[in-house]
Amino acid sequence: MSPSAVEIRDLRFRYPDGRAALDGVSMSVEEGETVGLIGPNGAGKSTLLMHLNGILPDVHRGAPAVFIHGVPVEKKNLLRIRREVGLLFEDPDDQLLSPTVWEDVAFGPRQWDWPEAEVEAAVRRAMAEVGLDEGFGRLSPHHLSNGEKQRVCLAGIMVSRPRILALDEPTRALDPRGRRRLQSILRALDAVKIIATHDLELVAELCDRAFVLDGGKIAASGRAVEILSDERLMLDHGLETPYSLKHGARG
Amino acid sequence: MKHESADRLSRGESPIHRLSPGLKTGAVLAFILAVTLIPFRAGAAFAAAGALLAGAIAAGRVPASYLLKRALLLEPVIVAVAGMALFQPGGAAIFAAMAVKSTLCVTSVLVLSATTPAAGVLAFFRRLGVPSILTSMAALTVRYVHVLGDELRRMRRARRSRTFRRGKARAWRSASAAAGHLFVRSTDRAERIYRAMSARGWR
Repeated sequence: MSPSAVEIRDLRFRYPDGRAALDGVSMSVEEGETVGLIGPNGAGKSTLLMHLNGILPDVHRGAPAVFIHGVPVEKKNLLRIRREVGLLFEDPDDQLLSPTVWEDVAFGPRQWDWPEAEVEAAVRRAMAEVGLDEGFGRLSPHHLSNGEKQRVCLAGIMVSRPRILALDEPTRALDPRGRRRLQSILRALDAVKIIATHDLELVAELCDRAFVLDGGKIAASGRAVEILSDERLMLDHGLETPYSLKHGARG
Repeated sequence: MKHESADRLSRGESPIHRLSPGLKTGAVLAFILAVTLIPFRAGAAFAAAGALLAGAIAAGRVPASYLLKRALLLEPVIVAVAGMALFQPGGAAIFAAMAVKSTLCVTSVLVLSATTPAAGVLAFFRRLGVPSILTSMAALTVRYVHVLGDELRRMRRARRSRTFRRGKARAWRSASAAAGHLFVRSTDRAERIYRAMSARGWR
């Protein structure tokens, strides 16, 4: 059997201040899946996503607990893993670090030392993929709307062709139109998607499976619609069943 | 905000704006080098440099208010440094020459900033082979000056909406609290930016 796209075995993590963020998380995500990671604030969702890509400072101690296509996330594999796992952060302003959109999308490939012509082709393709026309390339991130910023961030990740996307609250700052747009872009992208979010409608619409994370532990997992429809479970973990899944709402 | 108008002006339209960023940056560097080499008493050379600069200002349609405001901010530093010369014999001429030279150089850079998008200047330095750590740092500065400026503005607005009394002491106290707050927020953001850079392969 080929290894899972993502496999996590008993992942534990404490922040330097001693707060336990993850307290024995085990889960796996298979090729082709889109999964939702839901739970109250402070449950450890963002921390978990950051582990997929090995960017928390002291994850490299002890035995690796996260495997990407069977490859352990540890120091010697980091560059390879970071290309394979694209991470979208919660605040686009943390991620947009170049003076122009074009430069920002090109940030990843320039780290990989691609020839300039290849960088250019990849940037063009990634921007088209998220529906940004070339005119955006010259703009400064400062002049974009939230939806546009979010799409530039996504292009900056897609440009290195990751096979796994880890998205942290992708719809947080979007208006309904921006949200709809992002949703259809995400649906079309060919990659394993792990979406940490409070936007439960998004989970209902996009995700095959859902994991409920609470207090650094997986409290429940299963088919997204079944998890979301379990009103008791939702309330117990500070969530609520989306309106569209409540009895009778769909007629 | 300061950066706002440099940003807006640099995207304007004039014969100077149309020149390539590399050409303009190179010209400003050459101008600065030339000005520093002018002998102290060569009045004609100073006049020529000033005229050249004035021409560029006019052709680039750089508003005088833009130049004055920023030059005034830097002028105390220039005068203080040049002022050291006054303590040596014949220092007055040296002082005058240094002050004029510095002002010319600073103004030329201001004209560049008002007629050339920062990204263009950075791209030029990158092509020149300036180490990427320097160009990256400059690029981050350009980018996050905007984000910080926005943050500061939001904080100021929020504070004003909850300020009911006037008073100098109180205003100073809350201004210093805001500065501290902004500092903490910025270090948090720096941490997050670093993570985002690492996630995209920065090494």
